[in-house]
Amino acid sequence: MAEAHNPLEQFQIKRLVPMEVAGVDVSFTNSALWMVIAIALITALMVYGMRRQALVPGRVQSAAEMAYEFVANMLQDNVGHGGKPYFPFVFSLFMFILFANLLGMVPYSFTTTSHIVVTFAFAIVVFVGVTIIGFALHGMHYLRLFVPSGVPWPFLFLLVPIELLSYLIRPVSLSVRLFANMLAGHTMLKVFAGFVISLGVLLGWAPLAFVAALTGLEILIAFLQAYVFAVLSCIYLNDAVHMHH
Amino acid sequence: MTAEPPSPSLKDLEERLGRLRERAGLEKEGKEERGGKEAAPASAMGLAFRAGVELAAGLAVGGALGWFLDGWLGTRPFLMLLFFALGAAAGMLNVYRMVRAMNAPDGKTD
Repeated sequence: MAEAHNPLEQFQIKRLVPMEVAGVDVSFTNSALWMVIAIALITALMVYGMRRQALVPGRVQSAAEMAYEFVANMLQDNVGHGGKPYFPFVFSLFMFILFANLLGMVPYSFTTTSHIVVTFAFAIVVFVGVTIIGFALHGMHYLRLFVPSGVPWPFLFLLVPIELLSYLIRPVSLSVRLFANMLAGHTMLKVFAGFVISLGVLLGWAPLAFVAALTGLEILIAFLQAYVFAVLSCIYLNDAVHMHH
Repeated sequence: MTAEPPSPSLKDLEERLGRLRERAGLEKEGKEERGGKEAAPASAMGLAFRAGVELAAGLAVGGALGWFLDGWLGTRPFLMLLFFALGAAAGMLNVYRMVRAMNAPDGKTD
């Protein structure tokens, strides 16, 4: 039983429905299951919330409208003019990450966003998408993003690689931030929860109180990281659409 | 949220709504304050995470890129060292940009 309390066990991928297509393992895993649950919940929230578009919204409608307005404001603040076409993408991204993070807080659930494969997939989609948008809107002129203006030319040999690297860092920092926060938070919860059991009835109350506080913090972080991910995507979009630092 | 070029009557209506809201205490101190105040504690933490990860990612990406280029060009230690330093600089540049955007009076909407 002692082995079962490994704090990293919660991140284990389990195959629920083993499948294989052309030698590639495409099993339906617990991670995939929780992704599907997240999508189902978001769809339910939006569809059910918008079912009767009442002038005075009910609880679900209010939540759906708040989510819309939150992302719309974020896009307006960070991208401004010309950001509207990307609303559906940013909204889907934000909602999915938010729900995946929050569902991870449900006991016995699985936190999809605690795996770097998942967060890196999001980040690379944002990165490639933004790059394509940049080239589509500005053509080859987009490369000027890497050439700082008003710099004597010998410095360009140093500054262009730095700018290029700073652009290439984006998907890594974007994905690592989300994944590390989720991984660290959930591991810490499990470790302190383990202390509750091992310290017993007398001393176990202290870590229990800590776990309770930590749970609140984790819920805050779930929101915060979804927000940060979406805001950074907006900022990168802004660079691609408006092209200035 | 409404049509792109707001007709004068709509703008008028919005202004009146805004004034009413302010009086009702729905929006405490005008529009600009609202976002900033609410987001302040949460985004301070977000910014802290952002800065740290940005620096570490700079080193990681620079080092990894240099390492792969080394393997490709057969210049084992040199490019990795060079790109490690460049990555560090790029990470600092990212943090610098982030902080500068934070310092701008009201976001960086133009």
